[in-house]
Amino acid sequence: MSFQSRLRRSMPGYVFLTPWLIGFFLLSIFPILASLYLSFTDYDTVRAPEWIGLENYQYMFEFDYRFWQSLKVTFLFVFLSVPAKLIFALIVAMVLDKGIRAVGWYRALFYLPSILGGSIAVAILWRQLFNADGVINSALRVFGIQGPYWLSDPSYSLYTLVVLAVWQFGSPMLIFLAGLRAIPQDLYEAAEIDAATPARKFFAITVPMLAPVIFFNLVLQMIEAFKSFSGAFIISGGTGAPLDSLLFFTVYLFSEAFSYFRMGYASALGWVLLIIIAVFTAIAFWTSKYWVHYENERG
Amino acid sequence: MSLNRRRFLSAAAAAAGSTALFPALGQSAFAQDRNIRHFWWGNPERDKRTFEVIRIFNEKNPGIVVTGETLGSADYFTRLTTQIAGRNMADAIQMGYGVMFEYIDRGAILPLDDYIGGALDISKMDESAISAGRVDGKLYALSIGANSHVSIYNTRLFQEAGIEFDPFGWTYDDLKRIAAEVKAATGVFGSDDGTADYQLFSDYVHQRGERLFTDEGNFGASPEIIADYFAIWTDMRTEGSLPPGQVSAGLVNAEISNWGIVTGQTAMSYAWSNQLVGVQNLIQDKLGAAMFPNTPEMIPGSIIQPSQFICLSRDTVDAEAAVGYMSAFVNDPDMTAVLGLERGIPANSDVRAALQPKLTEIEATSVAFFDGIQGKTMDLLPPPPNGAQEIEAMFERVAVAVLLDQGSVQDVASQIAREAEGIRRRSR
Repeated sequence: MSFQSRLRRSMPGYVFLTPWLIGFFLLSIFPILASLYLSFTDYDTVRAPEWIGLENYQYMFEFDYRFWQSLKVTFLFVFLSVPAKLIFALIVAMVLDKGIRAVGWYRALFYLPSILGGSIAVAILWRQLFNADGVINSALRVFGIQGPYWLSDPSYSLYTLVVLAVWQFGSPMLIFLAGLRAIPQDLYEAAEIDAATPARKFFAITVPMLAPVIFFNLVLQMIEAFKSFSGAFIISGGTGAPLDSLLFFTVYLFSEAFSYFRMGYASALGWVLLIIIAVFTAIAFWTSKYWVHYENERG
Repeated sequence: MSLNRRRFLSAAAAAAGSTALFPALGQSAFAQDRNIRHFWWGNPERDKRTFEVIRIFNEKNPGIVVTGETLGSADYFTRLTTQIAGRNMADAIQMGYGVMFEYIDRGAILPLDDYIGGALDISKMDESAISAGRVDGKLYALSIGANSHVSIYNTRLFQEAGIEFDPFGWTYDDLKRIAAEVKAATGVFGSDDGTADYQLFSDYVHQRGERLFTDEGNFGASPEIIADYFAIWTDMRTEGSLPPGQVSAGLVNAEISNWGIVTGQTAMSYAWSNQLVGVQNLIQDKLGAAMFPNTPEMIPGSIIQPSQFICLSRDTVDAEAAVGYMSAFVNDPDMTAVLGLERGIPANSDVRAALQPKLTEIEATSVAFFDGIQGKTMDLLPPPPNGAQEIEAMFERVAVAVLLDQGSVQDVASQIAREAEGIRRRSR
């Protein structure tokens, strides 16, 4: 087929794609490239940007201790919340997989927090729950325990957000559930005949068979955790308070961009975050060679 | 900067308000009207009054259609920054005394001098209010209410404890005594903790005879002064007259509804005088107003300054109409009657006289407070340098370490001085 007739055949497809393509280039590609350019400027939103080369990046790595603090907070959050959330999601998925009555209801119920998860309302709710005289501490008082100041004590504040993240286990749970359903039952039956313990069955059958799904969830949740914003923003009032213990990378980026007229610097921060996420995703893919096996793979 | 019920309600009101705009916008575009947008930060009460003012203006000025947009103060500047970058700011925007100068310096706000005597009438405005809106000899902003720092106390608790003091000439030693007496007599903590309160702190720097920013724009508070300030509050906290540090750490920059005086946890909170009305609306007990406590030398530390300004934005589509609206906002008898004292004491003498007979009790208290502080405040300072906002936020962030007992008072004080210097170096 000649190029022209091929083009004529695929033309309608591209025509139908046009609205999406326009959106993609105008609302995604263009802003992304613009922010790359701005990251090398001193753009302050009012005046025209001026090229300053690598100055933003240099300042970030050499002088900006809040940048390092925000990295510390974000990494801690990712390393705590992602495994906790995945383990919790898997446990719930396994319970639901056992075929309880009205399982559809439970699934919907457990998924609900994930729909609400990113919303401002839940972050506000979280504030109320963990306030010094909030629901959690009132409940603890019934047992004679004086709860800590969850949100104003820097040694606890981040953990409340980890709990918030874990609570939004719905979407990995659903994916786990689908993965569990796809494991052939005869493997378990064979194991049962060999009198395998439940733990043995879990580690020898469930985990390896589920590895591709675990991997998928891991990458997705990791990216999401790096980008996490609204919970920390609302609970810390946009400042990362107390004592920068909730200074998530995105919260810091936001305040630099919108509170202090440093759009150029914030763009540079954004690109650093992109590179960090890319590197960690690449690491995850590289390690997956050693622990993720696909059924249709040989070996 | 917290989101709570009040803020949530105001945001919801704003959302509802903005949907109400669309029909008006469509209609006016059809009729070839001149469209003006007014953007302010507010609260439900202020929003109600301002939308009413807009309605009156639109009625009186056929051919001009003003539409209002509002947000809570925390989101306001975020939205404004986005609009600046997108070159679609509203025509008339609200500004605060502290932040305004950075926007002027960067060119986001236009001077008004060409309109004086034409669309803009400032003949009845106080000279002090006019000069507060001037930068390098040009007028950039119309004051929409004068403001000062105020200590708000619960008169019932003060009475129960038998407190006597001079609200216009008291010291931190008095505060220490009063706070202890209130706590002993009523069980309520005597005062909110001012450790991380930048307004109290900045007054204290002035009261020590220093300036918060030198003429060169450097941070004027020495580590010694900062440490002395922290020590005053740490003393009271140790004595048990103030709430535990961890509680206060959660209340830095809190919304009015979370202040100690409103929740009943303390007998005194610190505020801007235009907030008196808002606080009184939230509690039963009658409020009293005093100046911020002073040092024994009684050097004035507070300033009478515009609470808010209305300014003409760089992106205005019809400057003439916008300035006409701004002028009416501060002069028109019907419009100013609706606004009342909600944004502070009006700068127009005729407006003040017209409001006098209709004042509520708390409004009368705030007017009496203003009379009382005359001659006891300092002159208006030169505009703060770029970076001043960030230094304020930094102070509130770092001072929390004192409340949480993380680091000595001296160490935290030196850190603040050091960081302030760094911020100044970075701000152009």
